[in-house]
Amino acid sequence: MGAAPASRDVTSYGLGLAAPLALFFLAFFVAPLLQLLWLSLHNDTAGLHWGLGQYLHFLTDPFSLGVLGSTLLLGAEVTAVCLVLGFPIAWLYQRVAPKLQTIIILIVLLPLLTSVVVRTFAWIVILGRQGIINATLQSLGIIDTPLKLLYTQFGVVIALAQVQMPLMTLPLITALGRIDPNLDDASCSLGAGSWRTFFRVVLPLSLPGVIAGCTLTYAAAITAFITQSLVGGGQMLFMPMYLYQQASTLQNWPFAAAISIIFLLAVLAVVSVFTTLGRLSRGYGGA
Amino acid sequence: MILNRRSLMTTALTLGAMKAFPGLSFAQARPLVFATFTGSWEEAHKAVLVPAFRKANADAAMVLDPMLSVDQIAKVNAAKANPPIDVMLHDPGPALVAMGQDLVEPYPVEKSAYYKDLIAEAQEPMGPAPFFQVVGLTYNPEAVKTPPTSWADLWKPEFKGRVGITNLNSTLGTGWLVEIAKMRGGSEANVDPGFKALEELKPNLAAVAANPGALATLFQQGQIDISPGNFNAIQILKARGVPVEFVAPKEGAIAFKTTIHIVKNSPNRELAFKLIEAALTPEVQTTLMNPPYLIVPTNSKVTMGGEIARVLAKDTAELKQKFVFQDWKKINEQRSAWIERFNREIKI
Repeated sequence: MGAAPASRDVTSYGLGLAAPLALFFLAFFVAPLLQLLWLSLHNDTAGLHWGLGQYLHFLTDPFSLGVLGSTLLLGAEVTAVCLVLGFPIAWLYQRVAPKLQTIIILIVLLPLLTSVVVRTFAWIVILGRQGIINATLQSLGIIDTPLKLLYTQFGVVIALAQVQMPLMTLPLITALGRIDPNLDDASCSLGAGSWRTFFRVVLPLSLPGVIAGCTLTYAAAITAFITQSLVGGGQMLFMPMYLYQQASTLQNWPFAAAISIIFLLAVLAVVSVFTTLGRLSRGYGGA
Repeated sequence: MILNRRSLMTTALTLGAMKAFPGLSFAQARPLVFATFTGSWEEAHKAVLVPAFRKANADAAMVLDPMLSVDQIAKVNAAKANPPIDVMLHDPGPALVAMGQDLVEPYPVEKSAYYKDLIAEAQEPMGPAPFFQVVGLTYNPEAVKTPPTSWADLWKPEFKGRVGITNLNSTLGTGWLVEIAKMRGGSEANVDPGFKALEELKPNLAAVAANPGALATLFQQGQIDISPGNFNAIQILKARGVPVEFVAPKEGAIAFKTTIHIVKNSPNRELAFKLIEAALTPEVQTTLMNPPYLIVPTNSKVTMGGEIARVLAKDTAELKQKFVFQDWKKINEQRSAWIERFNREIKI
């Protein structure tokens, strides 16, 4: 950058540095998205007749709506599991010695360092009929016949929760780290018990991290094509697989495009709920 | 560097020009691109077909770009005038789609030295079939003591919760459903009996895999003991020590032609033809028939041997007799409706 003029207004920002990324987004994200929208507004696969037929088809079809619903529900379940399991880890991280902190961060990050495919296959090995869980339960005599874990909703939720866990834990660690530890002591010395301190002080102050973690986990969980299809199997249909089936196997691009747009809008709606909550929580945290 | 309007415009114009004249960035002719299938096909083609082609064509440059049939079609469709692929490999369903969408060129039959030696079913003027894929019954011999002999065996009560199938996204899944329908009096035009049979199979179903590859994992994990399966895929599992066996059911094993096509508007038409010729030669087909590949040949000059002769057919005459070929033109007409129906009805 050249020297900035002395009289430059310090409250304004140059957009120059953002321009390359903005151009990149325009060319490779916005343009294809518009193309997708254009394609979805056609009634035939050749893309000759304009119309809202594809949207009508989806929105009046209980089966398609069911697929959308179960996908959104799956995301909610995974997010809930991640939040419940991730929060204590993040909380612990702020309260242990630096050496242990390094170990915790390593454990949290480790899943990110291996490919999703590898992690998913590991879950197939764990959840299978002769997998680790069934073998252990059988050798302990708790069950006689192996439980069906693979190809069930439960299996998908557990596998996805592990795969997406870092996306929840990392924002939580950051958010909890920003809370002044003295607030804890202050709350206790003013007579609040540890649970009350947690619910009235720690939790509200960590809400921005909770919201960020939930948004990331949710978005990642509902679009996780690989884990959903490998652990869920062929009869559990979620939106990414539905989309792939229509686009690739059936070559029905306009319907696939309409599915993507509807899916996108549904996800945006959920994410905007999270953001609204986030905005409200900022007011709450400051109060 | 100061980013001002002028430099931004220059960048935008350059990017625009590159988009408008793709030749700019592809100034050099690209090598021949062959979109084979992923997995064992890629391994086999890399080890046998590519060296044979390069030896016969003065080390011509070529690239393997493995992907599924349907993805090949999508890629070529997205850039019909300047396709990123020169040679496509297809299962019967997608092959008809590719032809229907005018994505492939007729094979120059009169120029070909090997086309006439192919068995009649493999002679396709829009792209010959260098290989067959065979679907039969796969089972775990440690759990299934008496080998199955018929598709109907999948319904036996002893296999309660032990049967695996794939959904209709795959050629295997669709072809198998048609065969089941035929067994119960249906046909390529009427798979109702097949769906009824699937309904009755539900108590036995342990898993509906998302793709044929996932079936292999299910055998490895002991999740299933018996399933319809692809001959080649089973051989690979067997070689890795997984206890699996393949039998051709008495109704006949389902044979899919794997056809190979020159992509329309390919800049490497001549080399594409040469590559396909190489795939049709008895030498390449013989090597690919032998372990570890065990790919069923289509050139009638190839003498059947090894595992293929033992399990499938000793010669082309027996092959024709024992294999069932399906009418994929008919199948494709209704396939999307079947996929929808399968999505809705098959929940376990």
